[in-house]
Amino acid sequence: MINWSMGQVVEVARVGAEIYSVWISERKISRKVKPGQFIGVKVPERDDLLLRRPFSVADVKGGKMRIVFRVVGAGTAKLAHSKKGDRWDIIGPLGKPAPLVQNKSVVVCGGGVGAAPLFYLTRVLKEKNRVVAVLGARRAAELVMVSEFRQLGVKVYLTTEDGSKGIRGLVTEALEPVIKVMEKPVVYACGPEGMLKALCPLSRKAKVWAFFEERMGCGTGVCYGCALPKKDGGYLRLCQDGPVVSLDEVVL
Amino acid sequence: MTLEVVIRDVKFPNPVLAASGTFGFGWEFLAVANRLGGVVTKGLTIAPRAGNPPPRIVETASGVVNSVGLENPGVEVFKREILPRLQRVKCPVIVNLAAGKEEEFCELTETLEQTPVAGLELNLSCPNVKEGGVVFGQDALQVEKITRAVRKRTGKLLIVKLTANFVDPADTAKAAEAAGADAVSLINTLFALVLDQEGKPLLGGRTGGLSGPAIKPFALFCVERVARAVKIPVIGMGGIKTGQDAFEFICAGAHLIQVGTANLVKPDGALEVVKELRRMARTRGWQSWDDIRGKAGEGRFS
Repeated sequence: MINWSMGQVVEVARVGAEIYSVWISERKISRKVKPGQFIGVKVPERDDLLLRRPFSVADVKGGKMRIVFRVVGAGTAKLAHSKKGDRWDIIGPLGKPAPLVQNKSVVVCGGGVGAAPLFYLTRVLKEKNRVVAVLGARRAAELVMVSEFRQLGVKVYLTTEDGSKGIRGLVTEALEPVIKVMEKPVVYACGPEGMLKALCPLSRKAKVWAFFEERMGCGTGVCYGCALPKKDGGYLRLCQDGPVVSLDEVVL
Repeated sequence: MTLEVVIRDVKFPNPVLAASGTFGFGWEFLAVANRLGGVVTKGLTIAPRAGNPPPRIVETASGVVNSVGLENPGVEVFKREILPRLQRVKCPVIVNLAAGKEEEFCELTETLEQTPVAGLELNLSCPNVKEGGVVFGQDALQVEKITRAVRKRTGKLLIVKLTANFVDPADTAKAAEAAGADAVSLINTLFALVLDQEGKPLLGGRTGGLSGPAIKPFALFCVERVARAVKIPVIGMGGIKTGQDAFEFICAGAHLIQVGTANLVKPDGALEVVKELRRMARTRGWQSWDDIRGKAGEGRFS
C-alpha cells in the first residue's frame, strides 16, 4: 500500500560537492520503508516541474527519514535549498525492499552518492551478517556518509579516482581484493551505471544485488516508463520490480 | 446535481476517466478506480509487446515526453489474468486497443466481445509505434475503414481516440462518426523530440509524445473544434489536472474528460479532479452538465 503524506523538513545539510542530506519528519512512510525502497518527492512551489523525484531512503529514525542526493537539475536544486520547516509532498514506500541475507559475508559497494541507500541497508544487515563497505567516488568531496558507516562499526575501504582520499582508482577495482579473501560473498552495489556495468563479470561468480537509478514517470508501476532490459527478453519495471535487482538478470 | 454522464448504454458515475497508459489496467489502485467515472486501460495488442528501449520518459517544461511503445502482455494474458481482477472495478472499464493492421483490430474486438468490459477505445493515435497508431489516425479514410470494420463486430460502446499530429482532428472525427463510432476521444500526445547535452536524442525510441499541462491550450482548441464538427459525444483530454481544467474542457464541448499525466504525479490525481468538479457543481449551482457543456462557443468572436 502506497501512502501519500506531507513531510516536514527538519534538517538540510551540504555533505559534499553538490551533495545534500535532508532529514524529513514524516510518520506513515518512514515507519514502513525498508532498505532499498524509495520515495517520490514533489518539488514544492514548482508546478512546471511536474513529476516526482525518486529518492532512495538513506536512513530512518523515530518517525524521520533521510535522503542524500546530488543536485543534477532544477528540481534537486530547489529541494537542496529547502529550509527547516518546509513541507514536502511525498508518496511511498515505493519499490521492493532489498532482499536481506543472513549469516553471510556481505560487501556493500557504493559509488559516489550511491553510498547513501547502502547505509540503511548496512545498518540492518550488520545485525546478522559480517559486513564490509567499499566506498568510492571521483574525488574526496564526493564521498558521502563515510563517518556514519564507520560509526556502525563496519570496516570501510575508501577509493577515489583522483587519489585525493583512500586508494587511487575505481571502486570496482578496490572491491576485487576485498572479495577474493571472502567465502561466498554477497555484494550490494549502488552507483552510476558505468560502475554497475563494471560489476557484471563479478555477478557471474558472486551474488550481486544492484540498486538502479532511472528516470521515472509514476514510481508506482502504471506508466511503464522506467524500463530495464532483462536477460531473458523484455523489460522489467524498476519502480515495481526493483529498484534493487539481481545483476545477473539484466542487460547493461 | 448528479454528475452522471450516459453515453449509449454506459453510465459513467461522473465525467472523469483515467486515461490509457497512466493508470495501468485499472485494478492497481482499486480504491481510486472505484470513485472515478471510468478507467481506460493501458493499450492492448494481440501479441505481447516488449515496448521501446529506455530511457522512456523525460520531464520537460510543464510536460512529460514518453516513448513507452505500448508495452503490454497481450490479449491472452489480459483475458486470463487481468480481466478477473477488473471485475472488482465498479466504474465502467474501457479497453484501449492498439494494432498495426485492421484485421488485428477486428480480432481484438471479437476476442473481447463476450467479456464484461464496458467499451473499446480504438487507439488510432499512438506516436510511439512503427505500424498503426498515429499513421492510421492521420488518414481520415483509414479511420473510417477501421472504425467501420470494428463497428460491425461490436455492440459495445465504441470510442475512437484521435491524434492532432499533422491532421485536422475535425476531419478524422467526422470519419469516425460516419463509420458508426459512439464517441471520439482526443488528443493523444503530441510529436516530440528531446535532445541531451550532446545534442543526441535522449529517448530510447528516439522521438516521443508530449503530454501534461504544456499541451492543454492546444488540446482545448482541438476539443472545441471537434465538438462543433460532430454530433457524437467528445471525450476531451490533454493536460487536465484540476477541476477548473475539466470544467474548461466541458465548456469546450466535452461530455467526458480523461486525466492522464496527472495520474503519474499522484495515483489519485484523477480523483482530485472529480472532487473539485463536484465542489464546483455545488457552489456554482449547475443543474445539469447541459448548463455548461459547449458554452465556450457563446463567448467572444464566435
